[in-house]
Amino acid sequence: MSYQTLLDAVIKGDIKTATEETLKAVDAGQNAQDILDQGLIEAMNVVGGKFSKGAIFVPQMLRSAKTMQECVEVLKPHFQENAMTTKGKIVLGTVKGDLHDIGKNLVGMMLEGAGFSIIDLGVDVAPEVFVDKIKEAKADVLGMSALLSTTMPSMSLTIKALADSGLRDTVKVIIGGAPVTRKYAQDIGADSYAPDAGSAVLEAQKLLNKT
Amino acid sequence: MESGSIPTFQPRLKVLNHRQALAIHTAALEILEKTGIKMEHNESLDMLAGAGGRVFDKDWIRLPAYLAEEAIRSAPRQIALYDQLGNKTMPMVDENPFYGTGSDTTFTLDLETGERRRCILADTANFAKLVDGLENISFAMSMGNPEDVSKVDYIYVYAFAEMVKNTNKPIVFIADRSEDIAKIYDIACLVAGGEDQLRQKPFLLNYSEAISPLRFPAHVMDRLIFCARKGIPICLPSGSNAGGGAPVTLAGAMAMGIAENLVGLIVHQLVAKGAPFLFGPNVSALDMKSAVVSYGCPEWSLTQGALADMRDEIYGLPIWSFAGASDSKVVDAQAGAEAMFSIITAMLSRCNLIHDNGYLEYGSTSSLEMVTIANELVAMARFFIKGIPVNETTLALDALERVKNAGPQAFFLMDDHTFENFEQALFLPKLLDRSRYDSWEADGSKDLYTRSNEEAKRILSEHQVTPKDDGVLKEIDDLLKAL
Repeated sequence: MSYQTLLDAVIKGDIKTATEETLKAVDAGQNAQDILDQGLIEAMNVVGGKFSKGAIFVPQMLRSAKTMQECVEVLKPHFQENAMTTKGKIVLGTVKGDLHDIGKNLVGMMLEGAGFSIIDLGVDVAPEVFVDKIKEAKADVLGMSALLSTTMPSMSLTIKALADSGLRDTVKVIIGGAPVTRKYAQDIGADSYAPDAGSAVLEAQKLLNKT
Repeated sequence: MESGSIPTFQPRLKVLNHRQALAIHTAALEILEKTGIKMEHNESLDMLAGAGGRVFDKDWIRLPAYLAEEAIRSAPRQIALYDQLGNKTMPMVDENPFYGTGSDTTFTLDLETGERRRCILADTANFAKLVDGLENISFAMSMGNPEDVSKVDYIYVYAFAEMVKNTNKPIVFIADRSEDIAKIYDIACLVAGGEDQLRQKPFLLNYSEAISPLRFPAHVMDRLIFCARKGIPICLPSGSNAGGGAPVTLAGAMAMGIAENLVGLIVHQLVAKGAPFLFGPNVSALDMKSAVVSYGCPEWSLTQGALADMRDEIYGLPIWSFAGASDSKVVDAQAGAEAMFSIITAMLSRCNLIHDNGYLEYGSTSSLEMVTIANELVAMARFFIKGIPVNETTLALDALERVKNAGPQAFFLMDDHTFENFEQALFLPKLLDRSRYDSWEADGSKDLYTRSNEEAKRILSEHQVTPKDDGVLKEIDDLLKAL
């Protein structure tokens, strides 16, 4: 079955048409995972590509992500026994001492749009809170953000806390935020650095393909 | 003044009419009354509730409009900042604009290599010294979060001490919480010669931020209350940037930013009526492709022009603003264009305290060259708003008569009227190049970046900052060692 109308609707951010199309596909007996992978995530790949080329703006990209989320809500009851397969589980948060979250939220929306499942711990997240959640959720990736250069050391402390609790090898760490640099990421032993939301998606994909 | 002289109109930008200004103000009050704000500081929450606010969801509170109106009335109309030698150099009232540098950049452009690298303490020293030597830059900010401080918890104390050691101009400073602002205050008292002297002639102003939308973290309010009690002038602009922390439409972003600012003002005046509070939010635009907060956009200049109108129509309080900054990564044509756009509009709007001059890369990188360029652009802007004085001397009919009668070889350049008036009548650039092609080429074909680099280096090597008393410097160092 072609998902072209669904694809177009997600790309356009037309929530009404997209959710109708999702329901239609379900009613036609399509597999929910297929609708997710070949319809919704495929659409978001197109959106991500357009965004990184500068052909669309952030609000248009976020509208597509929102459209996708609405469709996922429609799909959820139709997954059999096993919950839907996502591309990976990512724990996300702004580090301790830092209360800024616009950039981090943007990263979360984009990762979700790319098919990852996101656990957003919010702002001012202490190292032990990250560690507990990663353990509990068996997360594949940890994404940490800081806007202030004064709170950056908290990233390093969190990576150390991961090591102390024996979890460091089970999870990939991506960091980002205005003062963060690739060199800083290397210095503190993060696996990857993402200068913006778009590259956070690419880095997460890269890291998880390796594992 | 000559008898019967004509008053000089000084070019002035207007953005809002009275009804627009009132409508934005009313919307701000409605936000306080209906939407409410999240006050995460218990002491402030209790204070606001005690004064008539209604707590409705743990730390969310709605505030009646009269609290804001009262606070506006009790805050002083003038904030005068002094230099560290005790001279009143920044009387911020009505239409006086003062330009200065910015804070907290992560990177700086290295003066020798041009490379973008992390800021260190020596950079903060250099920026302060450069500011000290530039006539149109009135106050200093740190221009960096230095990487090489021994205790990162006290980063702002080290930065403040470094500024004090390298400039005598007023300082706008950042702090994190009660502990470090108290240390900064101690240093300021050492410089001023005591608490009373500092209160009498404050040379510092604190910059703190609430978090848009509508959020007031505890440590921010600690600083606000500290400043109110000590009489340290403070501003509390949130980053109510269009499309990010605030609605994408500028009127809505301004209304929300002003509402947030009014909350700060209310608490501030409840703590200490009459304490100095610099008004105004930061309303820039979030770039719709990169999601960075733009420092070169026309929106920010427009909203602060609008705020200047609201100051004149409603608030009467001196305002906080920005200029001389750019989103460009290097000192190029974009940097010059964006810097001048905000410098001239801030001047034409008569904004009062105008920071961030010398920023590149949407505030992530500082540049000594950009500050040096801004100094010249401010001079141009200042010249522009002086307008065109019209009187007997400037109409110069006598000079015309003289030149006409002096024969075919005569021209104005050699007339006494020119000699006597050219320094006032014309703008005389120092850094901007108007030399003839051949001499420009002979001098190395230097562009503005190169010339400003050389000028910054020259000032840093030649300028003498009036030194502070050895005893004071030792006490400051002892304080730093004890951190």
